[in-house]
Amino acid sequence: MTLYHFGNCVALLTPYYFTYKYSGLSEYGAFWKCVQAGGIYIFTQLVKMLVLATFFYSDAPSSSGEFNFFAEILRCSMDIADLLGFALILSRIPGKGHSKLITAGLGWATAEVILSRGIMLWVGARGTEFSWIYILKCLESNVLLVQHITTATLIWLFTRHDLNKALKPLVSLLLAVTVFKGVWLEGMLHILTIGPWLTVAVKALVAAVIGFCTLHIYSGLAQQIGI
Amino acid sequence: MNEADSLTEIFRGGLPHCLLIVFSLLLTCSPVMPSEFEVISMSKYDLNGQHYGSRVASISLEARSLYSWNTSRHCVLTRLTDLSIHDFDKLRQGAGGLILMLPSNILNLDPETKELITILEQSMLTHTAAVPIYFAPYNKDLEKIIDDITYTTTDSPGQNQTALAQLVVTVSANRYHINVGGGSIAANKNSKIPIIHGELIPNQLALKPTESVADGQKLPVILITANLKTFGIYNDYPVNADAAVLLVLMELFSKLHYTSSMAPKYRLRFLLSDAGVLLNFQGSKKWLEVDDNALQNVEFVLCLDTISESLSYTTDNALYMHVSKPPKDKTSISNFFKLLKSSAEKYSDGLAVEGVHKKINLADTKLAWEHERFSIKRYPSFTLSSVKSPRSPIRTTIFKNDESRLVEHTLNTTRIIAEALASFMYKVDSTSSIFEGQLAIKEENILPYFGVKSILHNNDVKDAFEKYLNNVKIIYDKPDARDPEFMFYNENEVKLNVYRVKPAIFDLFLTFVIGAYLLAVFLAIQYFPRFYDEVSKLTKEDPAGQPNGHSSERVRMKSH
Repeated sequence: MTLYHFGNCVALLTPYYFTYKYSGLSEYGAFWKCVQAGGIYIFTQLVKMLVLATFFYSDAPSSSGEFNFFAEILRCSMDIADLLGFALILSRIPGKGHSKLITAGLGWATAEVILSRGIMLWVGARGTEFSWIYILKCLESNVLLVQHITTATLIWLFTRHDLNKALKPLVSLLLAVTVFKGVWLEGMLHILTIGPWLTVAVKALVAAVIGFCTLHIYSGLAQQIGI
Repeated sequence: MNEADSLTEIFRGGLPHCLLIVFSLLLTCSPVMPSEFEVISMSKYDLNGQHYGSRVASISLEARSLYSWNTSRHCVLTRLTDLSIHDFDKLRQGAGGLILMLPSNILNLDPETKELITILEQSMLTHTAAVPIYFAPYNKDLEKIIDDITYTTTDSPGQNQTALAQLVVTVSANRYHINVGGGSIAANKNSKIPIIHGELIPNQLALKPTESVADGQKLPVILITANLKTFGIYNDYPVNADAAVLLVLMELFSKLHYTSSMAPKYRLRFLLSDAGVLLNFQGSKKWLEVDDNALQNVEFVLCLDTISESLSYTTDNALYMHVSKPPKDKTSISNFFKLLKSSAEKYSDGLAVEGVHKKINLADTKLAWEHERFSIKRYPSFTLSSVKSPRSPIRTTIFKNDESRLVEHTLNTTRIIAEALASFMYKVDSTSSIFEGQLAIKEENILPYFGVKSILHNNDVKDAFEKYLNNVKIIYDKPDARDPEFMFYNENEVKLNVYRVKPAIFDLFLTFVIGAYLLAVFLAIQYFPRFYDEVSKLTKEDPAGQPNGHSSERVRMKSH
């Protein structure tokens, strides 16, 4: 709508900065590490893009919005690459305890928000036409931040050998739920055809639930190994 | 918006889950309104120093309804059927722009509305308007917008709304910003009016041996003229029944002339130009200037004007013969009038032929009828028309009825004119039918000519003239460089963009809401360590806890 509206949208992304500032990452000077994590995000997406373009029959989904279940499963199965990307970040970027996970999640989420939302916001939110979609997108980015940090934690937990054997299946399940969110969550929202605001709310709720479970497991392990 | 779309398109491919988000949002949220609409600019032209149609093309103003606009910073967006002449008079002086949505189907309107539309159309064509005027073809989305602005501005207190609903309405109330590009409007330096003229020379074989070709040239002339309407209130093709009649008459008489038994006493000449009543019959004016001697030996000039009403709302079925001077008895015009009457009686059911006399008003800059151009030069002339008053809005309307009725009516009238003309030319008894059997006028003859759009369009008219007539000439009337009598303007392709906008106060409100949200997030992050400690305690005991809405920002853990 105006530059002011664009400013409002960008203001909604401030939690990224809060996370960086108040999680102590700034004290560690972890900025460069976040950038590296973002670089790995870009690399992962490029690889995914190549694979999708090469091996998958892409029947461009029409904007009429039919939800092709099978195609979505195939597409989401490629999201496993995201997990590999996270694993790569966690293995390559040095860090200690909590800050390592936050660096990975924050770097990933920031790169995503800049690359996938940045241009849309810059061109769209400044445009003459008003639409709630930009505010919604920015709110959703907040949810995605939580979700990406959760995913990073889950991957870290998954790679730990000292994790309680009983919790292993739970971690795997949560990972699967996160990866295939595109199928089950979007499918459900599609069937329910609820409004855009409720959609974001549901997504936030799901991210919160998964996040809480993860936090629960993580805190146990963290106490166990003493970080 | 387009740039944004295409750019995000690139990223979507690489980010399948983002694609999902985008599509799910597009799916579930209110679809982003398709804000681009087709519009047609009102016709712009100059005539005798008068400007018609605005010289301003671009609009970038707030959209208001017909009832809520008040300054020149508002662009009025409304339906053509809602506009009254009184409204238009106010709008053309005060508003910043006017966008009229045409009805979806003009045929479905009742006769009164049709009449109103044509009267409004005429009012627009005769008054100079400073504001840019555009016409938008019927569009459901545009109709929604029109309803929206009309609804939001005219409050309906009768509806019992809850306080919450009213609050939602206040926040979600849409304002619309209208944008029409268009750039500058430049006069078309190549403005010209084509005029085509041809002559039907009697068959040499049909002439008596004593007569030579030169004698053939001396035969008295009957000139038939018609005008092609090439535009109306906006740039579209109106029905050109007159031209169709002219071309059919040309075809018929050409056939007759080549039948050896028919030796006409007259030469038929045909004149067709692209300048009708809107352009003050510039075509025939130019032709009279150029071809000075053409009418030296003229019997009469027959002008065709609005032979068929393209949008009829009356059941008036008549053919009027308009003259500038009441014809005296025994003159060719009065003879023809009688023939026309008897022919009408014979070949139609209840079509009345009436004579209408109207003096030429020399003070008027615009002529009422084309025959006045000839009458001024003292050539006997008259106009045949289905409308009685020269000010009838039907003459200039762009709207048209369905064609079948029109064709039928035109066919009828053509037959009457053709029979009367043939009786006159061949001096045969008016009771004998000529156009029957081989020469019968059928729908197939007339239908192709209805498609004629302009003299220069595909050379259709030129080919027809050359096929049936001799001495075919096309001349162009070009405006004088210094004192142009008429001028056309270049038409730019324009699009109407309607943007949903919110007032600045809304953004301010939004800033407060976002500020509150950010404060909540900030506090959540601040208290996250405490929350983490609680969870840690839980881990040791029974893992049962309520998830915090702002959970899992796994921050500050390090500091503990």
